[in-house]
Amino acid sequence: MGSPPVAQVQNLSVLRDGLLAVDGVSFSLAPETDTALVGPNGAGKSTLVAALLGLLPRSGGSVRILGQELGPAGELPRSVRSQIAYLPQTLALQGRFPLSVNEFVGFGFDLPGLNLAWLAGGSRGRRQAIQQALQRTGCADLGDRLLSELSGGQLKRVLLAFCVVRPRRLLVLDEAQAGLDVPSTEQFHQLLLELRRQEGWTVLQVSHDLEMVRRSCDQVLCLNRRLRCSGSPDHALSPDRLLELYGPNVVPYRHQHNHAGAQRP
Amino acid sequence: MTDLTAIRSVLAEPFMQRALLGGLLTGALGGLLGSFAVLRQLSFFSDALGHSALLGISLGILLGVNPTLVLIPFAVVFALLVNQLVARSGLPADALLNIVYSTSLAFAVVALSLVETYRGGIQQLLFGDILGISWSDLTVIAVLLLGALIYLALSLRAQVLLTLNTDLAEAFGVGASRHWLAFIVLLAVVVAVSIKAVGVLLISAFVVIPACGGRLVSRHFPLYALISACLGGGCALLGLLGSGLTNLPSGPCVVIVQFAGFLLALLVSQMTPRPPATAVPAGRHSPGGDRGALESR
Repeated sequence: MGSPPVAQVQNLSVLRDGLLAVDGVSFSLAPETDTALVGPNGAGKSTLVAALLGLLPRSGGSVRILGQELGPAGELPRSVRSQIAYLPQTLALQGRFPLSVNEFVGFGFDLPGLNLAWLAGGSRGRRQAIQQALQRTGCADLGDRLLSELSGGQLKRVLLAFCVVRPRRLLVLDEAQAGLDVPSTEQFHQLLLELRRQEGWTVLQVSHDLEMVRRSCDQVLCLNRRLRCSGSPDHALSPDRLLELYGPNVVPYRHQHNHAGAQRP
Repeated sequence: MTDLTAIRSVLAEPFMQRALLGGLLTGALGGLLGSFAVLRQLSFFSDALGHSALLGISLGILLGVNPTLVLIPFAVVFALLVNQLVARSGLPADALLNIVYSTSLAFAVVALSLVETYRGGIQQLLFGDILGISWSDLTVIAVLLLGALIYLALSLRAQVLLTLNTDLAEAFGVGASRHWLAFIVLLAVVVAVSIKAVGVLLISAFVVIPACGGRLVSRHFPLYALISACLGGGCALLGLLGSGLTNLPSGPCVVIVQFAGFLLALLVSQMTPRPPATAVPAGRHSPGGDRGALESR
């Protein structure tokens, strides 16, 4: 018998602005796997992710994360909640935002609830965890920079440091690579892959990058309000399935050369 | 020498001592709350609250109830209603707040015109009367400052995360709606309590100017909140002292000194070398995004 799934979604439906944005979706996330959620704009991907995390109320169905049922208002025991990480597309950093990278990553280390863990940089263990997280994500030299001074690629790496600063089991990304150029996207995915293997994360990521999904994901969920199909990338992203999901304007494209081989000296 | 004597004689007056202490506390409170309000794009909200306070005072006078007693519950209810209105209407927050504050002002002026004589005078309502502050007023402001300081320090993680992105905050265990509402209520109470000293027209300056000055020179969040509070309190103290020495109106004097403090912060920030800022657009789910500046889920 295999390990129990990290997340299990049964017949999930979500109403948004009076419309059924997600309709009767069921799937599960096996431990230490990478699942992509794909579909056209307005398909309900972000809504599904928000409902899975308990950020939006469900109109039907159930969600279990790490064996715990998500409450009607998104309640989860603190011990479970602290094992979930989430990466949004962007942060509200208009203008100069007086928050250093060290401080931000430190808030990723602190547990929810009222506390003064941040005072004077926190305990020695907290400061060490911040340094290690920044080193592992290639941000060791960014600790004193303001979040609002970072480039898009640096900000994404700092967000990963925010997640990795404390052990987690489930990482949910909502188009986290949006706004990055091609090299930064590639670097971000390499780093995510590395951290996922080291940390044993189970990943659910909303993505429009079908080539990346084909290369690095174990499971693909094709959503357009309802789950249109799911399975391995080869199965779910076949030309027929893509035609059904996106219409005739999406042309499947496969990389012909091997990235890993090309990088070797 | 003459200046020192003049300062001594000003400081010797009990009403001036109360005014200076009141200015220090009110300024610090405005700076502290403002440091969060400015980052959440709530500057205009404090302005709308200030104008609504005038309506609260007018209603109190019309109903024959002590306006001070009416003001705090009125400001809290008003803030919660406006918060819901912005969240549900789907209109941009700045446009809606403009409607709210101009309408409040219109109703307040109509209500005041129905009262034959108002002892306080419209001038005091508009620009405040910090010289008339009492020891009980000072106690309320001091307790409020202490309460705000304790709440914001203990919930700093929650406050920062929900300012950056409400979804991120909630996913990491922050009760974003609860903290958002608590902050709105706190801001409403602070505005209501400070109105007597600062006046309807100048209250938003107390919230916005010190925080913007602090934002320009801080690279750490707790330091930013602290500098904003100190800038607010310090400028209020200097402004009131200047007002006492020159017989100029107190509220405007404080705001002018706050503006000078802001210019100084701007100068310091321009002289400090720092890496170029990278523009990052507001998140789709962030308070500054298209969900509206005041919305909480």
